[in-house]
Amino acid sequence: MIRYLIKKLITLLILLGLVSITVFAVLFVLPGDPAQIILGINATPESLATLRAELGLDKSFMGQYAHWMGNLLLGQSQQSIHYKMPVYELIRDSLAVTGPLALLAMLFALAISLPFGIYAARHQNQAGDVVVMVCTQLGLATPEFWFGILLTLLFSVQLGWFSAGGFPGWSTDCWGSLKALLLPAFALGVIRASILTRLTRSSMLEVLSEDYVRTARAKGLKERTVVYGHALRNALAPVLTIMGLQLGQLLAGAIIIENVFFLPGLGRLVFNAIGQRDLPVVRDIVLFMAAAVVVVNFLVDIAYAVIDPRIQLE
Amino acid sequence: MTKRSLGKIFLLSFIFILSALLILSCEKSTETGRDAEKLNKLTEQVEKLTEKVDQLSKQVDEMGRKLEKFSETMAAPQRGGSLVLCVGDEPPGLDPTASASAAIDRVVYANIMEGLIKVDRNGKFVPGLAAKWDVSPDGKVYTFQLRQGVKFHNGEIFNARVARWNLERGAAADTKNAHPEFFRVIEKIETPYDYTLVVTLKDVDALFIVHMAEGDAVMLPMKGYENTAAAPIGTGPFKFAKWTRGDSVGMVRNEKYWNPALPYLDKVTYRFIKDPSAQVAALKAGDVDIIGWLFAPELAADIAIDKRFKVLSGASTSEVIMSTNNKAKPFDNKLVRQAIAYAIDRQTVIDLVMAGYGTVIGSHWPPVTPYYKKMSDRFPFNPQKAKELLAQAGYPSGFEATIKLPAIYPYSQRAGEVIADMLGQIGIKLKIEIVEWGFWLDRIFKQKDFELSMIGHAEAWDIGIYANPNYYFQYDSQEFREAYAKALKAPNEAEKAKWFGRCQEIIAEDAVNGFLFLSPALSAMKVELMNWWENYPTIALDCTEVWWKR
Repeated sequence: MIRYLIKKLITLLILLGLVSITVFAVLFVLPGDPAQIILGINATPESLATLRAELGLDKSFMGQYAHWMGNLLLGQSQQSIHYKMPVYELIRDSLAVTGPLALLAMLFALAISLPFGIYAARHQNQAGDVVVMVCTQLGLATPEFWFGILLTLLFSVQLGWFSAGGFPGWSTDCWGSLKALLLPAFALGVIRASILTRLTRSSMLEVLSEDYVRTARAKGLKERTVVYGHALRNALAPVLTIMGLQLGQLLAGAIIIENVFFLPGLGRLVFNAIGQRDLPVVRDIVLFMAAAVVVVNFLVDIAYAVIDPRIQLE
Repeated sequence: MTKRSLGKIFLLSFIFILSALLILSCEKSTETGRDAEKLNKLTEQVEKLTEKVDQLSKQVDEMGRKLEKFSETMAAPQRGGSLVLCVGDEPPGLDPTASASAAIDRVVYANIMEGLIKVDRNGKFVPGLAAKWDVSPDGKVYTFQLRQGVKFHNGEIFNARVARWNLERGAAADTKNAHPEFFRVIEKIETPYDYTLVVTLKDVDALFIVHMAEGDAVMLPMKGYENTAAAPIGTGPFKFAKWTRGDSVGMVRNEKYWNPALPYLDKVTYRFIKDPSAQVAALKAGDVDIIGWLFAPELAADIAIDKRFKVLSGASTSEVIMSTNNKAKPFDNKLVRQAIAYAIDRQTVIDLVMAGYGTVIGSHWPPVTPYYKKMSDRFPFNPQKAKELLAQAGYPSGFEATIKLPAIYPYSQRAGEVIADMLGQIGIKLKIEIVEWGFWLDRIFKQKDFELSMIGHAEAWDIGIYANPNYYFQYDSQEFREAYAKALKAPNEAEKAKWFGRCQEIIAEDAVNGFLFLSPALSAMKVELMNWWENYPTIALDCTEVWWKR
């Protein structure tokens, strides 16, 4: 287990190193001058030069990279060009939105996909199964931003139950904040549930045709015990893999849905930062996203071992 | 309201009696069975009369609306309440003296910070922190009498010494101001009394007062100006409260504002929502009270019919132009540019792109700004003439070109598509390329690597960009430079009008860019919100005199 952990940690570090170089290089050659974006198109060349010097943009490639890496290793945050505050604080604040949003979306996805997936598997090729499959097909084909807009039109504009977007902040209004996340999380969750439902169904079908399930049934166990006690646990492994990928994706920011619901989350932060050439923010967030995906995958690996004791973490 | 309905009732009863009489007389004539033609004539007359009544009732309606508006301006404003305002772009910092970004001015200018001069709702220059000012006969010495009893939000006193420090800060060698040239025309600043500021210019500058009324020239406190970008301090009617990054900027009423009657609102929040449909959804769901700049003009009509909301459509200072690279072939040929000017039906562009909101322009000058000269008739839509000019220029069968459109502005892409179709009619095939904003700034604006583009120039009084041959559209005209220099040095109003007018004429005649339309100042708000600015003659969304009717 320890060896496994160390191995994972080394992989993480190598990965982050590679990501940092790639990100840095891409942003370095990306056309667009942060100073120009801040000062506007009618700024004089000398004011541009002053600002470029202040932002450290006049240094060489290696100079800027070393500066960034040095800060990163020392745990010091760089200042956001656009927001004039430390990048780490920005990431922390936006994670307070994106983190709960991602978890809530996954909860919705699980709450929808597990029951429907199991139901469809148990009633394979019957009317119920067909309905579920058609619905998931529909869910797969629906763009989430469009679904989000539909939800806003119904629940915010017509019924007035939810606000159309925005985020009051956990410290000022806890219930309001949770409420603000419900619609976007549902929009994200339903679309992801479509994939998970299909996966649960096929995985369940496979497991249900295994010998041990037949044995369990032959022993005279109740169908309920067979399905939930014996089959489900084994059927969950592939579902878990996809869930891990989805959670990683969601943590990396649901850019479009955050824009539709104007939530100040990680996705919108990085999206705006790219547009504004707020390079310190983009770099750090991309690194963070890469790390998040690796960590989530690592957690999924551990979960495998918990679900299926035959799997050894080596 | 009652007057209006009384008028309607009167008119309707009038027409009713008239038609009754007509019908009676018709019956008589049919009875005698003599003349069916007479009947037709009479029906025609009735129709005509009905039309007239329609017109009249429309006029009555219009008068009613005017009356409402008048009563709005005359009604005593009520105090209190908070306002949530939706704007599209989040500003890059909150310091207007460190950036020319319009997004900053739209949040802080006139709300948190003020300058010596202000622009009023009609585009006139009125006293701001300077209660009055005089100009010497030679046009070089400006004497400002500053308002007394003005304090910054941190308690510092505003006086001539502070004003002088601010102007010197803008001109300093290490200034971060995006427009140091506004201040570098100053030769010396004297402060003979605590509240008298005497500014002597190196030379006459017709735009000095204009520049002093812009966000770049706001007054900051000498102590505590350092953190303006994150926590601004000014003299304005509202104090900065909180900036929730990615979401909103909040401000509260300044209880010690120099004008004790203002502001009316207790709290103002600027919320940043970029997506046009999300903006409208937020308004309809009640999350925001007003959309300061409606990104989706096509949704304006839909909002206006909803009784809870009203839409104001005034004039802004943003000219949307099809920027043309005057050094790129074949656009370096004046005939080609004029042919394009003839080929564009600008009213149709407005109808298709802005849902009919906006004003046709023919030069680079907003109609709401003084010294405007109407040039929009210079190139009326005439495809035939366009083809002739194109043939004369040596392109009888047209040519191919690329138009690069910045993705961040929805109007730009739409206008690009419409114009590509219009130019296609005279044989110019446009390839459309959508580019991201940073890319636009770098490749098009800086490196001038483009043939055509499309962008709104937000600032008023920016015609001087045509005097700079290195500006991205690379227009090089000695005649214009001379006219502009004369305008800047004009000693009196008549001369200013003459030479600024001449400047507008020259670039219109040269068809430097495709002058399309003036962006509408399109705002949508709850009906109870009073006294919002209909026109935006300066770059600000000023909440000072806005109030809630309860």
